[in-house]
Amino acid sequence: MAATLTAGAPGRPRKLLASRRTRVGILYALPVVVYLLVLFVYPIFSTLLLSLKNADGSLTLHWYADALTGVNLSVLFTTLRISAETAVLSLVFGFVLAQAISRLKPLWAGLAMLVVVVPHFVSALVRTYGWIILLGDKGLVNETLTAMSVPGTPYQLLYNELGVVIGTTSMMLPYTVLLLYGVMRGVDRRLLAAASSMGAGRVTIFRRIYLPLVAPGLASAGLLSFILSLGYYITPALMGGPNQTMIATLINQQVTKENQWNGAAAQGVILLVLTLAGLLLVKLVSSLGASRKKRSAS
Amino acid sequence: MMELRKTLAGRIALTAVATVILLFLALPIVVILVTSFSSNAFSAFPPEVWTLNWYKALFADGSKWPAALSLSALVAALSTVFSLIIGVTAATALVRSELPLRSAVFALVLGPLLIPQIVTALGLFLLFEPAAMLGSPIAIALGHTVLASPIAVLILIATLRGIDERLEDAAASMGAGRLTIARKITFPLAAPGMIAAAIFSFITSFDEFYISQFLSSVDTVTLPVQVYNSLTFEIDPSVTAVSAILIAFAILALGLVALVRWLGSGRQQSLLSVENTVGVANPGGDAV
Repeated sequence: MAATLTAGAPGRPRKLLASRRTRVGILYALPVVVYLLVLFVYPIFSTLLLSLKNADGSLTLHWYADALTGVNLSVLFTTLRISAETAVLSLVFGFVLAQAISRLKPLWAGLAMLVVVVPHFVSALVRTYGWIILLGDKGLVNETLTAMSVPGTPYQLLYNELGVVIGTTSMMLPYTVLLLYGVMRGVDRRLLAAASSMGAGRVTIFRRIYLPLVAPGLASAGLLSFILSLGYYITPALMGGPNQTMIATLINQQVTKENQWNGAAAQGVILLVLTLAGLLLVKLVSSLGASRKKRSAS
Repeated sequence: MMELRKTLAGRIALTAVATVILLFLALPIVVILVTSFSSNAFSAFPPEVWTLNWYKALFADGSKWPAALSLSALVAALSTVFSLIIGVTAATALVRSELPLRSAVFALVLGPLLIPQIVTALGLFLLFEPAAMLGSPIAIALGHTVLASPIAVLILIATLRGIDERLEDAAASMGAGRLTIARKITFPLAAPGMIAAAIFSFITSFDEFYISQFLSSVDTVTLPVQVYNSLTFEIDPSVTAVSAILIAFAILALGLVALVRWLGSGRQQSLLSVENTVGVANPGGDAV
């Protein structure tokens, strides 16, 4: 059939084929689109709607006013602060580790990558529990410090901000290492060599050549770990104290304990807006990076 | 290769710091594996007395773990099936067809991976609560599929992209029907990717906490929710053993994915090499 058509009119079969391929495409795309519209997009819209509704069904903004005042506002600031601390730490550690791995021989690099990737697939709950065992008063960390006769042991490493940040950083680290490793592999080493041949020192090369090249990657890795930390619940709830309550903890409390769905919905929407703003920034940074790369290559 | 001088001290420092960071990643896992065999389940590392008591306690009478485990397994199996159906169709649509609004569909697929899980969980709670479906394993599985199916789609997109379409064209040119091509060419080549997608969907659901917590009732508690509860409310030393089992499970699953990838990697190459040899049109001769 195809043969006769091709012989007959060269224009028509292509169009026919295209429309058949389009129809097949739409048919195959239906399950995922319908599924996510019903179970992902619609629920988010109903959350948005709920956050704008009074008990009597009239529209209101007072759930947002609630969410942005008093204790709730300080929880929001705590969330932003812990996320920022996590992002900075996982960025610094991730940078050093990715840098070290990119210098290793393939076998060692592979093994190191395994240590980075495997924890990522172990439940965050389980890893958090591991930290609780490690950081307790009689945990491995404090025992080791005591054995090394470090003054002031045991340190309070749990149920405070330090504990939370240790936990969340270890959860975000695999992301930043993988992202930065990819960015570093993409750096054209000849540029560094060229700078060196022209007499630039190590610090100058790092600052003037290497850092600008990896900067967009650094920015998006940092932003991504910041965004991912915003909605974190398990680690702050288990490793933090009352001063480390994050917005996700609050949402959870309001739904499961207080039956305060509207307030929870408003906070969910705020979390969503923050996340989307962050994602927009990531996109902006990466397109900026792409244009810079093009310029440096030309 | 790099023209920069590397100082020995600098290299040692970098290696030392990198080792510490790797320990930072590995220690929480190692400590659980070791402590689960220790007579003191909460601290004292390394253990003074080794024991299997915590593992035995898991299956003692009145233990909540077997029920939680079987519920999680059921939910994970269901959402694996849902995710594979969605994954295969969506990947086919995105890779092998002319799809209008392709980037919008792709963005929709990425959505659940980027949006905070607590927001997704809250939305699902608001969806299932009025339907009186809280605590239903089906509802939890449907919820988990929102998170697991995008992962399956991404894996299967990569798989389909990796399959040489010329193999399918070649089969078609020899008169194979679409069904035969799918069965004899595409499916065997996509099988490793499908297994990987299934395993990752299963793990995603099995470890999922937020949606499970919002959608569970008193009688239906999944394994991660039970772990969370025993870490916060009831001090249950068996949680260490459960955690160790979860770690072993994750490592096993990753190993399985690696194995399937490795076994599958030879397959397409052997098919393609046959094609190339035919292309040279001198099999057995002095091919280049």
